[in-house]
Amino acid sequence: MVEAKKVENIEFKWGKQRGVGGKKKDVKFYESFSYDHVEYALYDSVYMYEEGETEPYIAKLMKIWENADETKKVKVLWFFCPREISNYLGDEKTPENELFLASGEGVGSTNVNPLEAIAGKCNVVCSSKDSRNRQPSDEELQEADFVFYRTFDVGNCRILDKIDDKIAGIEVKFLLNRVGNQSSSGVPKLDSNKKVSGNVVATNDTRILTRTESNLGEKATSSSRVEFNEVTKLNDWLVDNSGEMASSSSKVEQISDIKPSLANQKSSPGENSASNLGLGEMTKDNKKEGIPSDIIASSSKDDVSWSESKVDKVFAYQVLVEEKAKVAKDSGDLDDRPSKKAKLDDLAKASYDNKVTGVQKVSHDSNGSNSKSVAQTTPASEDKSKSNPTKDHHENNSSLSKRPKPDEKLTRLANGKFPEASLRQPSEEGSKTNCQIQEVTRRPEADRSKWFRGLPWEERMQTAHEQETLVLLQNLDPSYTSAEVEDIIWHAFKQSCTVKMIQRTALASPHSGQAFVIFQKREVAEMAVAKLDEGCLMLSNGRPVVGSIAAPCFPGKQSTFFGHLVINKLRTHKQREMKEAVSTSHCSQPNTLEYEMAMDWCLLQERSDLALRKLRQQQRQELRKLWVTLKCK
Amino acid sequence: MSNLFRFWMYCYRLSVPSYMDSTSTAVADYAAFLEKVKRTVYVDNLSPQVTESVIRTALGQFGTVKNVQFIPNYTGPKNIPCCALVEMECLRQAEAVVSEITQFPFMMSGMPRPARAFRAEVEMFDDRPIKPGRRIQCRWVDRKDPDFEVASKIKRLVRKHAAEDLFLLQQQLAQEEKLAKQQEETLKANYKKFSIIDNVVSDGTAPGLAKFYNMKAFDS
Repeated sequence: MVEAKKVENIEFKWGKQRGVGGKKKDVKFYESFSYDHVEYALYDSVYMYEEGETEPYIAKLMKIWENADETKKVKVLWFFCPREISNYLGDEKTPENELFLASGEGVGSTNVNPLEAIAGKCNVVCSSKDSRNRQPSDEELQEADFVFYRTFDVGNCRILDKIDDKIAGIEVKFLLNRVGNQSSSGVPKLDSNKKVSGNVVATNDTRILTRTESNLGEKATSSSRVEFNEVTKLNDWLVDNSGEMASSSSKVEQISDIKPSLANQKSSPGENSASNLGLGEMTKDNKKEGIPSDIIASSSKDDVSWSESKVDKVFAYQVLVEEKAKVAKDSGDLDDRPSKKAKLDDLAKASYDNKVTGVQKVSHDSNGSNSKSVAQTTPASEDKSKSNPTKDHHENNSSLSKRPKPDEKLTRLANGKFPEASLRQPSEEGSKTNCQIQEVTRRPEADRSKWFRGLPWEERMQTAHEQETLVLLQNLDPSYTSAEVEDIIWHAFKQSCTVKMIQRTALASPHSGQAFVIFQKREVAEMAVAKLDEGCLMLSNGRPVVGSIAAPCFPGKQSTFFGHLVINKLRTHKQREMKEAVSTSHCSQPNTLEYEMAMDWCLLQERSDLALRKLRQQQRQELRKLWVTLKCK
Repeated sequence: MSNLFRFWMYCYRLSVPSYMDSTSTAVADYAAFLEKVKRTVYVDNLSPQVTESVIRTALGQFGTVKNVQFIPNYTGPKNIPCCALVEMECLRQAEAVVSEITQFPFMMSGMPRPARAFRAEVEMFDDRPIKPGRRIQCRWVDRKDPDFEVASKIKRLVRKHAAEDLFLLQQQLAQEEKLAKQQEETLKANYKKFSIIDNVVSDGTAPGLAKFYNMKAFDS
């Protein structure tokens, strides 16, 4: 642990005293203190640095006191990171920033350390659904350095989901999220690390920094908001940036005076962030913020949340090379050229493709309705949300679709299948009246049809096919349900029908949903198809419906399945004796022939997947090109 | 724009709000459905001989299987492998299934082609509830509307894409067939080799020869 003499220069001040104790009543217990200009309080989560370790530990302060000989001690309750208890986790994949609070009786849950071993404050949010725990908001969760909802019992060496009443003698409610004043959420995450790095710990600065970098991935989102927040003293971090943008200009001035001070902070310990790449684009808008572009270049990986009350702390921090998302945001948003940001984000991602938990990054990207697709294929309509390049660069964009986009412009189908396109057409309200649009509601007999399920679908389809009343519709929104399609048909043709929406499989196209429709009569079916062909039934999102007489293939006893091999000689044996034996399902072992063959199949599968992906991309682009030119969607 | 207005005399705007007769139950239903989706695994590359019980036993190793539903293939080419939706008891089991099957080649009802597993998605389900709060619009586009041209192009494009998809699938099938044949050849050859060795050892030729040459092999 750190020796006292190294600590002489560090600012320290006791906060509120709690009481006295000890044999001679000469030990003073405290509730809070300020160390190196960071405020700590009881039950705060902190980083504890140990000499020789590359990564700091994380712990909760349980007790703080000063002995008679003026030595300061803290008793801490440890958090375990998944790495440390990987044996007990087994195969389970935990998110990088999940922690486990120590609980139970045994060695290793708490320790007494000198106060000087504290290396900074940490933002740990409890995401447990326990009733005693104040549920954190989404923003808090995203900005948190770490999250925990489980504990690790050191006595039984088990991971527990349920939280006990008392851990380490303290009632659990103190250990969970704080209510009211979120002082913990205002914690300067990790930045104190950098601060401290120069001081307390004798070890290498870069080591702590590398750790902070590793955490940065998670906090990427909050980066840009930092400036705004500390100035405006808002407590909620994850303000929807798009919404903020309007008001951001007013904040710019306030920020601008911080920025110059940032200029002094440049220090890039050799990290050459790909922000240099982004630099080229970042030239604009610097005046507005008062940030010279080279500052951006050198601005370091700063990690995120600065306590809003301690604006001055900003200056104290060593600003490392950073993930441009933040930088990009600053200039990008204010300049209203979010495409850059998106691009930078991509570059950022591409270059830091470790641990960038793309999730938050992506949500950061999606920056509301303003992000443009950097692909530059689309016109500068501010409604197109970004991420074409994002998609190309980074595959973890599944989270894109999860981003909670406020569906404020209703009557718009949020088309989940175009993740880039949460269409938000401001003009749509106006255009609605112009384009004779029908709203599709439940048709009159909807409920009645529920009563008779009738024959199973396959039979009906078969008969329908024979009678030629079966129609296949394409280019529907894949997320429609059968009932919705029935209603659409009702409104469009004034015919009632039965619809079965085809279930999507891994091979099916995500752009175009398909459905089988059984009309009542052959003429009706033919009429419908003809009408769809010659005319154009347009659904929301610019989807003209394509209809054709269906030619379904009925799954019979298909005998050909490629890939399951049987040895012929054994087969004859089987027929006689082993008919009852059931082939077991198992995972193949690496030292067998079947494993190697399985690998061949895996390779083939990968290739096919790649080809399919490319095809989908191409199709999507083609569709977009046309779709964009639609005037009235 | 006002010109167009004249053409469109009808302006249906049915004022009935959408499907939300009982909003709260619809929302609750949908939420429950989403939860179910999270717990479900989509399994692919299954041989047609795989039955529900096979899947139950196979995936029962990971937890409790609540429901198995095969996805019938009505549109695609005939020989593509089967797929199914398997509902597990809880999210963690579903994740365990997916991670195991993706990490290790999992054989079901035959070797050596492994099955695939993904997390299920909403559109894979057959009987899904309507998303509450969704409003759909449709309109007939007039010929004179400039959008008509574009729409026709889109329709053509959609058909083209469908044809492309079919083609790609058929290509994939052809490749799979090729690989299967290739593997069968290899397998046969290997089997022959092993059986020759086996025979030679079992009927005494090999041990005999070994003795003749003073080698210590084949002492069974």
